[in-house]
Amino acid sequence: MRHSEPMRRFVRADGPEKVTGSGRYTADLTLTGQLIAKFRYAEVSHGRITKLDVSAAREVAGVLAVLTQDDVPDLRYGDAVADRTLFARDVVRFEGEVIAAVAATSAQAAQAGIDAIIVEIDELPAITDVEEALTEQSPLVHEGWADYESGWGCERNRNVASFSSISKGDAAAAMNTADHVVSSRFVADGSHALPIEPRSVVAQWEGNKVTIWTSTQVPFKARDGVCETLGLPSNRVRVIVPHLGGGFGGKCGFHFEAHIAALSRAARRPVKLVFSREEEFLAPDRRREGIVFEVTSGVMDNGDIVARTGKVVVDNGAYTADAGFFPQMASMHLAGPYKVANVHIDAHLVYTNHQPSGSVRAPTAPQACWALESHTDELAAAIGMDPVDFRLRNCVDTGDEGVVGQTYDEIGLIECIEAATGAAGYGRTELAADEAIGVAVGWWPSFPGASGAYVKLEADGSGEIITGAQECGTGSVMTLRQLAADELGMDPEDFQIVYQDTAAGPYDAGATGSQTLLNNGRAVQNASRQIAGQLRQMAADRFEASPDDIVLGDGVAMVVGTPDRSVPIAELARSSMNTELLLGHGSSAPVDTPVLRNSTCVGDMGLSAWIGPQFSCHAVRVKVDRDTGVARVVSVHAAHDSGTIINPIAARGQIEGGVVMGIGQALSEGTQYDERGAQRNAALLEYKLQTAADIPPIHTKFVEVFTNDAGPNGAKGVAEAPNVATAAAIANAISKVVGAPVRQLPMTAERVWEHSVGNGEVAS
Amino acid sequence: MSEIYELRVNGVDYPVTADANRNLSGVLRDELGLTGTKEGCDDCECGACMVLLDGQPINSCSYLAAQAQGREISTVEGLMDRDEMHPLQTNILECGGVQCGFCTPGMLMSAHALLERTPEPSLEEIKVGLSGNLCRCTGYGTIFEAVAAASKVEKVEP
Repeated sequence: MRHSEPMRRFVRADGPEKVTGSGRYTADLTLTGQLIAKFRYAEVSHGRITKLDVSAAREVAGVLAVLTQDDVPDLRYGDAVADRTLFARDVVRFEGEVIAAVAATSAQAAQAGIDAIIVEIDELPAITDVEEALTEQSPLVHEGWADYESGWGCERNRNVASFSSISKGDAAAAMNTADHVVSSRFVADGSHALPIEPRSVVAQWEGNKVTIWTSTQVPFKARDGVCETLGLPSNRVRVIVPHLGGGFGGKCGFHFEAHIAALSRAARRPVKLVFSREEEFLAPDRRREGIVFEVTSGVMDNGDIVARTGKVVVDNGAYTADAGFFPQMASMHLAGPYKVANVHIDAHLVYTNHQPSGSVRAPTAPQACWALESHTDELAAAIGMDPVDFRLRNCVDTGDEGVVGQTYDEIGLIECIEAATGAAGYGRTELAADEAIGVAVGWWPSFPGASGAYVKLEADGSGEIITGAQECGTGSVMTLRQLAADELGMDPEDFQIVYQDTAAGPYDAGATGSQTLLNNGRAVQNASRQIAGQLRQMAADRFEASPDDIVLGDGVAMVVGTPDRSVPIAELARSSMNTELLLGHGSSAPVDTPVLRNSTCVGDMGLSAWIGPQFSCHAVRVKVDRDTGVARVVSVHAAHDSGTIINPIAARGQIEGGVVMGIGQALSEGTQYDERGAQRNAALLEYKLQTAADIPPIHTKFVEVFTNDAGPNGAKGVAEAPNVATAAAIANAISKVVGAPVRQLPMTAERVWEHSVGNGEVAS
Repeated sequence: MSEIYELRVNGVDYPVTADANRNLSGVLRDELGLTGTKEGCDDCECGACMVLLDGQPINSCSYLAAQAQGREISTVEGLMDRDEMHPLQTNILECGGVQCGFCTPGMLMSAHALLERTPEPSLEEIKVGLSGNLCRCTGYGTIFEAVAAASKVEKVEP
């Protein structure tokens, strides 16, 4: 069934305060008596702390609190494995690791306190090469970590933090039958989420309760982290997120909320932390991971892919954060949305002394898609088939079985390929010798999860949605108004939203995994339906009709087909004060996923089978200066199956923003490390984002496939998927111009030029 | 050492007591309470702190507040005309050019300066005019559309 909601102009509810400057972000808050916090960082990537003396810092004028690991409960925490402490104890494992924290009456006094801390560290060899870290001979990043707890059942084997494999059919045997076998190796550098708002945290204690204002994407997870590390019950920690200035995954997870809460408790004053841009680059445990890929495929002369083997090595960095599932995601993306009967892929997440990796917008997928789709163009070239025809032949379609044995309900990948390549004029457009159109396909799951909301109608007929969901800019929380309005026959503008406050709304996983509308949308629908039921009963009583015959629309409750038997919803709301208040509560239970055949140390996590899988195809026209290696994107055509599109403006914004992030990852964004594991480009001028001047026209087409058992009204997620295929499509265009794939990401001018030279294509 | 001076912001004269080394964004935010101006890098790289000084866009993070004495400072808080939003404000919302909103004040001020000097900018002129303002959310295209739409609104005004 194809389904399309009417397109609506949709001005976001938080828009007016964001365009007038009256909206408050965390760093905009000032509390009476507030102190300023600063951190002392390791500044070396690997070393043993031989001396840590904070006594002089405590004597600095204006300093009211100095904390180290001695001053907080000495326990390890972590999502996949409990591998870190709030402050470093004994050993530091990356340069941005926090050793101590100071709260003082001014930023200058806080810095003076930091400078007065005596730290002596015996530097150890930094483990910086992820493939060497995987070998038997490598020193360990975490000595003795077999004793760490792991909630996800990780094996804790040498430097391997987690392992995942996909095994289907007999890849080795099938490979021997192939007419052509192509092997490729690709290396993707790490990169950064890089929200424009540097993170900020403000904490204030009143009695035995603490309120924490923080720029997090996941307020409940941040709260739970505070509770775990400081030993507090959930109902004594309230996390409030003022407006959030972007996240892209970088602000997922529990970060520095407990440090600031502990400082505030020690100083008996409110304490505020605001990161500098450099700290935002170095300290969070949410960098996009570097990955090494090796992939081999066997193809027949007729174009069928018969076998695929692969090896994935993911740079975990010093601590595991939420990266435990990355091997699973990376192997799915190296297998790809293809019909291949025989597959074997092994993926390892490996500790190094780099900044920890964590979920940044579609973790592992842009890199893995870039590697696989570059490889796919090599396969097509090996048999002399057009790469788009090759994809159309091998991609999964409705009813096909994917790599882990999941059979796909109605999906729109083939239509995405046709839409993107058709609109881009692929194969029909005369291109200069220095231009080409590259094509890539991508996929990404939708993430089911528990999520709750309340809805109420006030006596004046205005509505309020109280949700645990978190808005990070995508507009997904803003879109909840539309869902409530649809259920209640009201206008979206009739509703206000109370959100991102753990003491107000029920649990939600946060602005993570493109899950907000998918899960919280159903919760809001369920809560609204309770009120709709109340309204129908009230109208039915009034008109002596059956509740089933009452329709809600245009702000009135009406007996179906009889406009003279109708009552304004606002009037029913007013009368509810004399009967029963109009209150609804809703929750979205996680959707069950089928258990499928694969093995992984982190368990199924619901990801091996993908609920509401999203598909995409990007066709990107690129111009390459072969003399300099500079590649410029001329135009992008992106086609996406994200199910039903609920909010077209917001969805378009996700595609365009994701594509531009993908252009950055393709061409300029990559973390450079020195031999000691320190970042060499932790500044915006050196780590180059795309600017307004770089932006090509981006054309978006939604292939709307109604998806059962996913989000509201057949929707899937949309925020991460556009980030997946852009770099891959750009790579395939560059490869066409210079004659071979660029095997490193980002494909900087230097790297493109080197490949160009390597193929003898450079002009003399 | 603290200095005492006046700053004129959005047509209002404010007394200021601040150290001579304070930057303009810090004084606007912490001393005058005008937190609409954001700080994203403290290094002239992101444009979130963009304000107008006598109509010219500057990165207020890297401008000494005391140097702005006697100049006309314009911030996002001054864009509205009483209760009426500026066409740039309404259009950036209607076009979907606001997501997280953190770059929005600086983006609006750069766009405002652009339209003041180039009332009917081409797409290239819009791109150049906004090239000092980083946005990580939108991909910029909807912001370009908003500036173009606002320029047409301003053109028909008397």
